[in-house]
Amino acid sequence: MDELKTKAAYVASEDEDGYVPPQITQFIVVKFGEEQYGIDIKYVDNIVRMQHITRVPKVSNYIKGVINLRGEVVPVMSVRLKMDLADDVETKATRIIILKLEQHCNIGILVDEVKEVVNLEENQIERVSYETKDDKSNFIYGIGKYDGGLISLLDLNSVTLDKEALS
Amino acid sequence: MDVSQYLEIFIDETKEHLQSLNTQILNLEQDSENADTINEIFRAAHSLKGMAGTMGYKRMQNLTHDMENVFSEVRTGNIKVKANMIDILFQCLDALEEYLDNIQSTADEGTNDNEPLIKALNQILSGEADSGEEEKQEEVQEAPKSSKKKVHRAEDGKWEAIVLNDSERTVIGKALEQGKKVYGLTVYIQESCILKAARAFLVFKAMESLGEIIVSSPSAQDIEDEHFENDFSIFVLSDSPLDVVIEAAESVSEIEKVAGGEWDAASEHTMLETPVEKTTPASVAKEAEERKAAASGNGPVTVSETVQDNPALIPVAREAQEVQEVREAPQDTQPTPPRNDKKPAVNKPVVNRTVRVDIEKLDSLMNLVSELIIAKNSLVSISASGSSDASSSSAFNEQIEYLESVTTNLHESVMKVRMVPIESVVQKFPRMIRDLQKKLGKKMELYMSGEETELDRTVVDEIGDPLMHLLRNAADHGLENAELRKERGKPATGSIHLDAYQDGNNVIIEVSDDGGGINVAGVKEKAINRGVITQDQAENMSDKDIVNLLFLPSFSTAEKVTDVSGRGVGLDVVKSKIEALSGEVDVKTKFGEGSTWTIRLPLTLAIIQALMVVVGDEKYAISLGSIETIENITGEDIKYVQAKEVINLRGAVIPLIRLDDMLDIPKEQRNDDNLVVVIVRKGDKQAGLVVDELIGQQEIVIKSLGKYINKCKFISGATILGDGEVALILDANAMF
Repeated sequence: MDELKTKAAYVASEDEDGYVPPQITQFIVVKFGEEQYGIDIKYVDNIVRMQHITRVPKVSNYIKGVINLRGEVVPVMSVRLKMDLADDVETKATRIIILKLEQHCNIGILVDEVKEVVNLEENQIERVSYETKDDKSNFIYGIGKYDGGLISLLDLNSVTLDKEALS
Repeated sequence: MDVSQYLEIFIDETKEHLQSLNTQILNLEQDSENADTINEIFRAAHSLKGMAGTMGYKRMQNLTHDMENVFSEVRTGNIKVKANMIDILFQCLDALEEYLDNIQSTADEGTNDNEPLIKALNQILSGEADSGEEEKQEEVQEAPKSSKKKVHRAEDGKWEAIVLNDSERTVIGKALEQGKKVYGLTVYIQESCILKAARAFLVFKAMESLGEIIVSSPSAQDIEDEHFENDFSIFVLSDSPLDVVIEAAESVSEIEKVAGGEWDAASEHTMLETPVEKTTPASVAKEAEERKAAASGNGPVTVSETVQDNPALIPVAREAQEVQEVREAPQDTQPTPPRNDKKPAVNKPVVNRTVRVDIEKLDSLMNLVSELIIAKNSLVSISASGSSDASSSSAFNEQIEYLESVTTNLHESVMKVRMVPIESVVQKFPRMIRDLQKKLGKKMELYMSGEETELDRTVVDEIGDPLMHLLRNAADHGLENAELRKERGKPATGSIHLDAYQDGNNVIIEVSDDGGGINVAGVKEKAINRGVITQDQAENMSDKDIVNLLFLPSFSTAEKVTDVSGRGVGLDVVKSKIEALSGEVDVKTKFGEGSTWTIRLPLTLAIIQALMVVVGDEKYAISLGSIETIENITGEDIKYVQAKEVINLRGAVIPLIRLDDMLDIPKEQRNDDNLVVVIVRKGDKQAGLVVDELIGQQEIVIKSLGKYINKCKFISGATILGDGEVALILDANAMF
């Protein structure tokens, strides 16, 4: 029964080369204002409560500073500032998500709220094509459809890429 | 098991052997007749060959094999040491080092066969063979190998005591039917060996390449767990002759000796009863017995020497050698561990850096940790007692003090563990100076002192290149040519000194030469020509300032660019490297008399004493090492020079740096009536950092800010304070 269902789902999807079992990816759903964003769980090391962030002078404006994560000094960045949204307002729901990325060591990102974890199959994800990419959606690689709502899936590599540091 | 886990030992030991070869060959150049030196060289080359072979590095093995041949000829006196031979040997060492570098970064030796070198080595060998009889040479080649071997007395052959079970007997029986031979070996490992299990494994590995190990005593598991004394015994099935098998086992380093013999079912018990003793009068009888045994093809061959001495045995050995050669061919093509198909990224060393630590240091560390636990337990018991009266609070304070002394000692001990003598770096310099001498055609001598001075491992690893630059500079630019030296009344041989010593919390390394010194006028002219400074500026600069121009990028005063130095990449690299290690470099020079370069390095990098200050709402740490004094000044003390704030402190004019401006710290109101100024020093320059408040002195642990934040040059790192907050460490050196 299950197989039938997924097969039907597959037929509906645009993929056309042979049957492959649907890929399920887990995402952590976070909120920036009213918008929902998804973060691939394989990049998430940890979620910690808001704590004192030590400012570091002379760095890009979206680098909020550094925190002490169990004895390690970890930089924290603001995705809001990076995406040119209004600056973060600290509330009780504010969390720091610690990401582990390959090219640099751990980095924390500030989110307004962590909602839930969802499972998305490949056919529930709509890739963003290049034409529609403007500055802001450069940070998004796809849109996930879940429970009638839309989740923008963050492309963490471009979110955490420090363009200014590179130039 | 897989050899890659022994890669670290291999690399460490290869480095040691290469270093000792370098030093010994240098000695050999000075004193070509010294038998000790030649023996030492031979031993090192032999171990290198064995190690490379075991790890499956064929190219390295080939090269060392040919080197070993040359050394063995030298040892027997067939070849005299000549200058060009020394040169070729040094080139070989360079090639070996190249292999090692490749191995270290990719676990693969690379593809350079170094054929010209092998050819050159063979020429050295054949050059002699032409003049002598070929036969004789062959003999000589064999001779050192066998004489090197210690006599394997039968009493060492503990393997004879191994009792086989039935299934092992059937295996052996089958093998014998197939014409294979069964050897018993007892391997003795040097008592000084640290990783006996690793050595044993290498022996096993070597044996497995020749045949099959049927049984071992103690069991393979026990050997792997290092549950054995200094020897172990094995039975090997092989079609190689005994001496090949023994040699393979002995080629593993730190193996003292290998005793072995051929096993046969009939002699299993008789051998136990009649130990074969070579030196006893019965040896004649034994030889006869051996001859008989050889005829039947399975006698107890206990001594490889016997194979050569005993004519009856030679045919057997020859035959077996042929078999061995046939076997070797497919072995070469056998893919040694899957290296080619999955090569790790080139810039990612496959081997972690290690430090060899004295057991005593570890013991003291262990003691301190146990004290730490005791201190913790006392604190727990005080807090458990729950009373808050005076006695418990004083006990509490006592324990805190105790804890403090324990952590301080702990810090010291850990630091000591990380410290290594700079010897490992400076050892390679005599060789370098020798090469430079040839290249530059100048006579020079390097004098070194303080090689035992210890520095943090990370610093020692980094300090090699800057020192090399300075020495090359001294040799190339510093020392004059012979005529000029004569004219100036100096000895024809120039001297370069490399001295290291500890000075308080710093280590000083000095490179000095008795050469021409720095031509300040020349530097000035060059700087003006290059547009680095203007004529006006030049006139206002002190000699010292001008000399410091040499540290600017792409500034080279050498008239012509030579191979050795003068590309203008030297001194600025030296400076930036040393500064990256939180050290400083300085030069004193007198024209016509020579120059001295002084490198000052902190003893350790991980934990420092720092002054905690407050600026605005933020806390910062300033390394105590760079702080001169702390002054209270009033607004009236601030003067202006070129619109910049300065203070006149006891006759010295010191520029003021407003940390809140420099670090963009928001602040509503400045109170200029009463200022706290931290005077920091870099070399002989000073600056005053204006802070709001002092917290006090504290021992801080330096943490890196990570790769993500490296843009702020005023911040050298971060530390975690007692309350868990992160404070940034100000780099006073970057403020100037």
